Amino acid sequence: MTAYIIRRVWQMVPTMLGVILLVFILFNWVGGDPAYVLAGKISNQEQIDNIRRQLGVDQPAWVQLWIFIKQVLTGDFGASWSTNEKVSNILATRLGPSLTVLVPLLILETIFAIGLALAVAYVRGSLTDRLVMIVCTVGLSISILVYIIVFQYFFAYKLGWFPVQGWGNSFRENLFVFSALPILIALTVSIAPNLRLYRTFFLDEINQDYVRTARAKGLSENRIMWIHVLRNASIPIITHLMAGLPGLLLGAFLIERFFSIPGIGREVILAVERSDFPVIKALTVYVAFATMASNLLADLMYKAADPRVQLK
Amino acid sequence: MIASCLRTVVCASKLVLLTLALAGVAPPSAAAANMDKVIRHVFPAAETGFDPQAISDLYSGTVVQAIFETLLTYDYLARPSKLVPMTAEALPQITDDGKTYTFKIRKGIHFTPDAAFKGEKRELTAADYIYSLQRLIDPKIRSPYAFLVEGKIVGLDEAADAAKKSGKFDYDAKIAGLEAVDRYTLRIRLKQPDYSLSYVLAHEPTSAVAREVVAAYADEGGRIMSNPVGTGAYKLAKWIRSSKIFLEANPDYRGFVWDYKPGAGPEDALIVKEMKGKKMPQVGRIEISIMEEDQARLLAFQSGELDLMNMEGPLAPKVLIGGALTPEMQKKGVKLSRFVDPEISYHYWNLTDPVVGGLSKEKIALRRAMAMAYPVEEEIRVVRNGQAVEAQFPVPPGVVGHDPNYKSSVKYDPAGANALLDKFGYKKGADGFRTLPDGKPLLIRYASRPDSLGRQMDEMWKKTFDSIGIRMEVQKDKFAELLKLEKQCKLMMRSAAWIADYPDADNFMQLLYGKNIHQSNNACAAIPEYDRLYEQSLRMPDSPERNKLYHEMAKIIEAYAPWRLNISRYRNMLVQPRVLGFKKHPILHAEWQYVDVAPGMK
Repeated sequence: MTAYIIRRVWQMVPTMLGVILLVFILFNWVGGDPAYVLAGKISNQEQIDNIRRQLGVDQPAWVQLWIFIKQVLTGDFGASWSTNEKVSNILATRLGPSLTVLVPLLILETIFAIGLALAVAYVRGSLTDRLVMIVCTVGLSISILVYIIVFQYFFAYKLGWFPVQGWGNSFRENLFVFSALPILIALTVSIAPNLRLYRTFFLDEINQDYVRTARAKGLSENRIMWIHVLRNASIPIITHLMAGLPGLLLGAFLIERFFSIPGIGREVILAVERSDFPVIKALTVYVAFATMASNLLADLMYKAADPRVQLK
Repeated sequence: MIASCLRTVVCASKLVLLTLALAGVAPPSAAAANMDKVIRHVFPAAETGFDPQAISDLYSGTVVQAIFETLLTYDYLARPSKLVPMTAEALPQITDDGKTYTFKIRKGIHFTPDAAFKGEKRELTAADYIYSLQRLIDPKIRSPYAFLVEGKIVGLDEAADAAKKSGKFDYDAKIAGLEAVDRYTLRIRLKQPDYSLSYVLAHEPTSAVAREVVAAYADEGGRIMSNPVGTGAYKLAKWIRSSKIFLEANPDYRGFVWDYKPGAGPEDALIVKEMKGKKMPQVGRIEISIMEEDQARLLAFQSGELDLMNMEGPLAPKVLIGGALTPEMQKKGVKLSRFVDPEISYHYWNLTDPVVGGLSKEKIALRRAMAMAYPVEEEIRVVRNGQAVEAQFPVPPGVVGHDPNYKSSVKYDPAGANALLDKFGYKKGADGFRTLPDGKPLLIRYASRPDSLGRQMDEMWKKTFDSIGIRMEVQKDKFAELLKLEKQCKLMMRSAAWIADYPDADNFMQLLYGKNIHQSNNACAAIPEYDRLYEQSLRMPDSPERNKLYHEMAKIIEAYAPWRLNISRYRNMLVQPRVLGFKKHPILHAEWQYVDVAPGMK
């Protein structure tokens, strides 16, 4: 196991180098020169050159790339080009609000999607199953933007059940008052595709011989579904869940913008709008690292879920 | 004996202060500002920070205006904008034919108490303004507003040059043009006469910053983006970046009594009735939310979560019918503060471009034809939702030098445009598109941003060019890249806008000055007649003679057509009924210190 983990961590090095190179090339290719924006309304070439010198974008490409690599190694990405705020501080202060919305969402979405998927898989082919699938298909076809606009208008503005937007000072207030509607919207949007996917996983298992054997042995349907089927379907579910984990670092762009949540999603959009390369660099590297780490974690969890899995 | 008397006086003073404190009597401003009174404002875009000399975005500038103070400001109600003293005792004494400005600073103005002052009360002095003006040109700070002082003040550019060589700006070195005659007297000497300097000194980048605060809190770039300490009516209480900004009334602020003269119209009379004689500021707390999405802002305002909100163009049809509020909004008592912004938008052609540039007759004819074929009225109706007016004069309303009676000779006339092109040899081929007089293909590249407004403008211009048989291609690029190409005179044509930094015609007329190519002259126009008149205007104060020059310059713009002057947008500020005395100022960003909140109203 230890040897496996070491090998996988070692394999992350070339992947990370590839990410660094890709981000660097992409930003320099399409990112635009930030000096012209930072210079203000009236500026001359000397002032623009001064800004480029201070930002380090006047350096040869290989020097800039080496600085980027050093930043990844030290975890110090410097300060934002537009606000001068430390990138580490940006990430530290914005991650909390994003996680306040996304962690409960992930938990609720997983519980609801698995529970409902098991239920409809159990009554597969019935009218209920078909109705749920139709609702899911319709739900999937509607953009999240529509959900946000409609829910914000009716539930917050018209009915007054939630605040239209905002963010408070206490965790409790943020979770139960300001995050409630964003979570409800995100849950409505995400539950349909997950339910359909998990239902497929469960249907694959329900048709297996071991389920027939369990029934023949007289086990209750509850036990068969919740213990045997769920456990055997857990590997693709874990894969799916783990693939979504790095997304927590990126926040929820639209939800955060519409509900004025000071999360990392809004910061990503701001950084792109302002060509704020230090922030973009840091986020890309962290997400890449989180993706690799969650993949490794998923592989380790396969082993825990199914002892037949061999880690090589 | 004397020492004993002094001791007695000091003791007595302390006793009086203690008694006042125990009796709950506070300085005038603290007594005026009621901490239960809150104004909830919204910005549609995130701020960047609160260093007056380092920021350039409108929203950071709004907060800066509430925290810091300039020498001069504007009368709250007077229209067009009228300069009045802020920390200065009076308007400056201008001598030496507009080359020397002398300010007397009011005594007894103090910075908000801060640890940087080590427990001492810190009084505002002339040296603070000298320091702040120097910061504008310090290369380390890379101020976006360096142009406000660059090339103007005697010795200041030389100090900046020395800083570039040494790597450090010497704030202690004497600068001939910036002199603290005594603790409260500031003298500024200019290289050339400049009658717009008073306006510059009412602009927030020239606000006074204390050197000790910069020394205590400056980041690597020498900026104090998150530690603003000023002498203004408010102080920063809490800041959640890009999300919330909380301001509180500055307890050390000197305060003032609301006494402004109303202009014509019932709006001003009501404001005076609501506010006259009140000690200001009345509002103790300002809560600013940053909400980028239109729907979220509007719903938050309609549900009473916001008190003040600027209506952006796309939102206008939801609450405005023509120029008035919908009956539903009127029923709620919502007020509208509306005026034409001191800005212009224009379409420019690059005068150094081989296809559309140059001052030959056929090139001028080509540009004029494009200008004549552009339907400004349609843009106002379709793209701007009726929230703009056609600009007739390069100097917009609300700016000194604006002439409301001036009518541009450039009119929408596609038939005339076609006739003009025919006359100058731009012949139509079999495909219906014109060629250059020498028979080579004629293709116009219109540059725009990849956003919704950019796409709408592409469509407007495509329609325009189709109407005169000119082939058009859209050049899409990111904003930063467009700016770069523009500064390098590498774009053929683009739409641009300019909002007043200060309300003087010079701020607009400089946009076509030949020496400003690669800076603000994005048409890269060098028209000798225009330049000559512009240089003449620089040496003149606001006067009928100077306005006459501006008229001649406007005619030159119409004749040579480096621009198609386009529109000026309306500013629509929505105000909840509980907010008293609000009138949006065309130049000032922050009006919180001039308003009140009705008790008990939600």
